[in-house]
Amino acid sequence: MDNLYNAIFKGLAPVAKTSVQEALDSGKTPQEIIDASMIPAMEAIGREFEAGRVFVPNLLLSARAMKGALDILKPLMMAGQTTTLGTVVIGTVKGDLHDIGKNLVASMLEGRGFKVINLGTDVSKERFIEAARENEADIICLSALLTTTMDYMKDIVDAVRESGLDVKIMVGGAPLTPDFASGIGADGYSSNANEAVAVAKQLVAV
Amino acid sequence: MTGKERIRTVLEHREADRIAVDFGTTPVTGIHCKVVEALRRHYGLDDHPVYVHEPGQMLGYIEDDLAEALGTDTAGCFAPKNSIGVLNKDWKEYRMPWGQVVMLPAKMVDSFTPKDGGLYTYPEGDNTLPPSGYMPERCYFFDSIERQQGEIDDDNLNVEDNLQEYSEIDDETLLYWKTVTDRAAQTGRAVVAGFGGMALGDVARIISMAIREPRGIRSVAEWYMSTVCRPDYVKELFDRISALAVRNLEKIHSVVGENVDVVYVCGADFGTQTSQFLSVETLDELYVPYYKRMNDWIHQNTTWKTFKHCCGAIYPLLDSLIGAGFDIINPVQIAAKDMDPQRLKDEFGDRVTFWGGGVDTQKTLPFGTPAQVREEVLKLCDIFSKGGGFVYNTVHNIQANVPVENVVALMDTLKEIRS
Repeated sequence: MDNLYNAIFKGLAPVAKTSVQEALDSGKTPQEIIDASMIPAMEAIGREFEAGRVFVPNLLLSARAMKGALDILKPLMMAGQTTTLGTVVIGTVKGDLHDIGKNLVASMLEGRGFKVINLGTDVSKERFIEAARENEADIICLSALLTTTMDYMKDIVDAVRESGLDVKIMVGGAPLTPDFASGIGADGYSSNANEAVAVAKQLVAV
Repeated sequence: MTGKERIRTVLEHREADRIAVDFGTTPVTGIHCKVVEALRRHYGLDDHPVYVHEPGQMLGYIEDDLAEALGTDTAGCFAPKNSIGVLNKDWKEYRMPWGQVVMLPAKMVDSFTPKDGGLYTYPEGDNTLPPSGYMPERCYFFDSIERQQGEIDDDNLNVEDNLQEYSEIDDETLLYWKTVTDRAAQTGRAVVAGFGGMALGDVARIISMAIREPRGIRSVAEWYMSTVCRPDYVKELFDRISALAVRNLEKIHSVVGENVDVVYVCGADFGTQTSQFLSVETLDELYVPYYKRMNDWIHQNTTWKTFKHCCGAIYPLLDSLIGAGFDIINPVQIAAKDMDPQRLKDEFGDRVTFWGGGVDTQKTLPFGTPAQVREEVLKLCDIFSKGGGFVYNTVHNIQANVPVENVVALMDTLKEIRS
């Protein structure tokens, strides 16, 4: 495997940055580098996580290395020349400031080929709808850690449906269950960041 | 039996005259002030604003009259300063965004800044500093604002920076602990003390709302990554913390003696809902030696029992935590993966006391019916209480949105079991 793949898999951000530059210098296009090294590395670390051989800190490290490499590639990519699996608008719902899990989901989605618009925390239903419309999102991802804020997800789902937007809605967060997700009318649920990518892919039928 | 005798008995893995119960003696076995107010009204107790001793989670103080009504067997001794770093004194009324009037330290109340639809709070109540906590609209407590300054410069990381909130205990604080533990012991209930200074890697402490100008690693994600990419730094930090903790424990023990029954050691969470934050090997290498240093000192020099809080799916880690010398595990998150109550009791029940696990607080307590609460409490008490080794508490604090009828159903069921 190449240096960039290894750097992202092992979560070595400085090495990832130099490796991506080396790959560019060797004449590869940004899209080739992403497809050949970066996405496979994120897929591999995701598989290790699912198997219980690595843990959340490893995913955080890999996500950071991937982001460092992507930040170098992004300015070199002409609009419309990139291939994405779809556009995701993601945020932690109003009243809730917890974002470690949400940010990890955002990074994993980005690292596996989605375009991600991260709205941060304490996000109202109006902001979710506005961002989804502006970016022509395929998926809205909602996160909540608290039993006191998860009920607001239903308000958001209802508002999105009423807005007429053609968008899928995914939910996640520690106190949520698949039953809760289907009960509020969400299209998808995942219990962790790696699974979220698989669910998102299903929702956009990749 | 007195509360103290009852707790002591179950901690020795023998059955007491009835199930032992704790409500409100730690930052993780408490009740939100909104529910404390509702319970005071339900039991017809004196109608006055609830004192909030832990503003990070807005936990209400369980006064003696309510402790009696709830039948709790424990008396809590909290640190002199709250989680914002303000002394819990000079109380002042404040109307929270949900309409409830509570008592908070005046220094904190006077520094509050309403902004962006929420409420900002400041380290030590000093609003000339950047805010360290925020309660957004629709939220019922203050959450920490991360104040990590820029990217970590690994070449210049200095463990002293992550030790800035740790110090040798002073005479004034020793006198405080003597006073509050003496008073708690007079209740006849078991004394649970949170002396502080013993937490290893508790992210709530890492991003502390109390520190004026935080230095070192102060972001939650950065901390978790450090357990993988900076193990030597983490070990050095834990070595320094645990060595200092033992020196402070010696001094504390010399003034409080055996008035204390249980000491809250550490609240670091190692579990997510479905997994862990580290492997067994990493726990054994990074944490266990330093936990052991503190727990061994306590066991060799006192009659105190040691309390470890650890949320999440921690079944694979329990052997190591017990091996590190913890007598008590909390909150026993039964809804997390592989945390089946019967299996926990069968495999670990003779070696550790489960302090919690008495009802699921993610689903049943906030969203279930009173009948479902009753059914779950009966079932869990039946499983956990056999042979002792169980102190009743919910899985973590009772949150603000829990219907009071569900809390009353819980309390009534406990009374029924204990009568």
